[in-house]
Amino acid sequence: MPDLGSSMRAVVKKVVRAGRIDARTVDEIVKDVQRALLQADVNVELVMQLSSQIRERALKEKPPAGANPREHVIKIIYETLVEIIGKGVDVPLKEQKILMVGLHGSGKTTTVAKLARFFQRKGLKPAVICADTYRPGAYAQLKQLCDQIGVPCYGDGKAPLKIVKEGLKTLKDDVIIVDTAGRHALEKDLIKEMKDLVRILKPDQKILVLDAAIGQVAGAQAKAFNDAVSITGVILTKMDGTAKGGGALSAVAETGAPIAFMGTGETPEDLERFDPDGYISRLLGMGDIKSLIERAEESLGKGELDVKAMLRGKFTLEDMYKQLEAINKLGPLKQVMQMVPLGMEVPDDAYEVTKDRLKKYKVIMDSMTDEELREPKIIGSSRIKRIAIGSGTATEDVRGLLKYHKMMQTAMKGLRGGKFPMRKMMKRFKI
Amino acid sequence: MFDVLRRKVGAFKSDTKTLILERKLDEKSLEKTLQAFELALIESNIAVPVAEDIISSVKAELLGTKIGRRANIDEILESALQKAMIKVLSANEFDFDEYIEKAEKPVNIIFVGVNGTGKTTTVAKIAQRLKKQGYSVVIASADTYRAGATEQIETHAERLNLKVIKHQLGGDPAAVVYDGVQYARARHKDIVLADTAGRMHTNVNLMEELKKIGRVTSPDLVIFVDEATAGNDAVERAKKFNDAVGIDGSILTKVDVDVKGGAAISIAHTTGKPILFLGTGQEYDDLVKFQPKWLVNKLLEG
Repeated sequence: MPDLGSSMRAVVKKVVRAGRIDARTVDEIVKDVQRALLQADVNVELVMQLSSQIRERALKEKPPAGANPREHVIKIIYETLVEIIGKGVDVPLKEQKILMVGLHGSGKTTTVAKLARFFQRKGLKPAVICADTYRPGAYAQLKQLCDQIGVPCYGDGKAPLKIVKEGLKTLKDDVIIVDTAGRHALEKDLIKEMKDLVRILKPDQKILVLDAAIGQVAGAQAKAFNDAVSITGVILTKMDGTAKGGGALSAVAETGAPIAFMGTGETPEDLERFDPDGYISRLLGMGDIKSLIERAEESLGKGELDVKAMLRGKFTLEDMYKQLEAINKLGPLKQVMQMVPLGMEVPDDAYEVTKDRLKKYKVIMDSMTDEELREPKIIGSSRIKRIAIGSGTATEDVRGLLKYHKMMQTAMKGLRGGKFPMRKMMKRFKI
Repeated sequence: MFDVLRRKVGAFKSDTKTLILERKLDEKSLEKTLQAFELALIESNIAVPVAEDIISSVKAELLGTKIGRRANIDEILESALQKAMIKVLSANEFDFDEYIEKAEKPVNIIFVGVNGTGKTTTVAKIAQRLKKQGYSVVIASADTYRAGATEQIETHAERLNLKVIKHQLGGDPAAVVYDGVQYARARHKDIVLADTAGRMHTNVNLMEELKKIGRVTSPDLVIFVDEATAGNDAVERAKKFNDAVGIDGSILTKVDVDVKGGAAISIAHTTGKPILFLGTGQEYDDLVKFQPKWLVNKLLEG
């Protein structure tokens, strides 16, 4: 698990263990919160502001009847962050024009294709215009992506403003998305060009594309874009990496523009709605089991994967297979695992279930009896041999699968045990 | 960089006073000041764990030091900090130009990094630099994944009048680099610059692919390209790339964005390898040789 997760876990544990909340305990907690947020790339200035808010409220406010003081502090931390990040925003499903802007290499072009794919899935007709005439290959890249998803792409030319003007005349589709060249606050000509693009396009949405890994500069850059063209929304990219995306918190604080989507991979399908609870849970390392359950149910259809039963400790080979399949649909395993609540330490190898290994597991399991799938305990060496022959794999492969199952089973058990009052916490956050 | 310090100057000064009276630096008297320093480092975009390491090395060095009654504690601390940062940036330093001059030709250099850090642009800039120095350069377009990648590098190559070795989209990148080296051998070219696809350091398959490129083509130099705008994650990805393919040095791009440059310290501290160049703009000549002193002064002036 990345450092932030574990450091915030330490905070939460501290809060939970502290018998009563006095000034010293609060100071200690606030210091840990500071470190966690700084490590997540939240702007230094903003972190100082937030931590003094948290300190003040924690010392002043009495917990409401029925809540204990420790939970109250966690709630304050959570609420303080929610207040900034907002509730996220849904992009309206209607005819509109969207301008995409951002720093170099933040992922604008890939995100344009993802957004086009999103509207297409929702039954609208999107088309894109490439107004990036600076970076070599920009049009070729966008065109190739658009061809993949069957979306019209306009824009092989030399002058961005002219391309947009002509594109608007040519394209009669519902949603027009305009990709622009990467630029930063100090490039005066390009900032002016961006303003001119807004004048010509009259976009309904002006979306800032922000790299999850961006550091302390996030707030200032977001402000510059906002000052120039009034940003209406943010898309946070590269969330499939290890970056925590704290720069988004700075950007939202600076611009007031809500986050609409997150990019979680390289293909046009890898775009997810921004979920503020999930984002904050990730920042706090608290795990967001709510969204894990929701997403699992969404991609599997109800009833197929009984997450609650697994948490009760029943975890068969069948469950594991379904889970692996679900996880494969959900995205990188490591990312999904981060959404699982604290107290769970999954060995690093567990993450490295590649698609190939998953395929092999399916073949092996196809050679098992129903009884074996439900009660893996009964699989001894002679059964292992039979399964290996039946599935055309080596006995080591079968043993490997059983070992992996055991590891996951232990991890699942870890979810419910422990001193941590998970149930209560979940209730408090309406999970 | 010392915005934070200035804001805290009240606390800073009273500490200084007691220090001068005591004339010996102890933990308690240093604590507050060092905390402010640490925050200032973080504000300069140095990753939190790296800032903590630097501060504890400064602390270890200063603890127990006796100072004169009129000594300026600001200066003492600043110079200790400066020394610590230069040390980080000077580890395993080597001169790129000298290396290229002496190395057996063709020199095979591969460029690696996460998506969107500016690898392709950097390859073009390095090609331009080497060409100006009189070397013959071949580019291997080993990003066979990203849409438009080959078109991008081909446009650069056309402008710089260079040969590009390429395969089809979806081809084996290791084979492209291999072909690049074979081509350079056959035509007596001096240098092969291989542009690889950006990849998330968390993607096991793509990191395996990168290892394969390393195994198959045994590059003379592996250069990690990362952006000055990156925050704490710079540490994680530098570590993963270094573990996977063993980098020889890094290039920090997007230094022209209004950044303080702390990412250079994070990356150098994590990899123990030098920063070779800084990318400072969109033009081919926007590449400057990295000087540790220059960056440290920039950080301290801020």
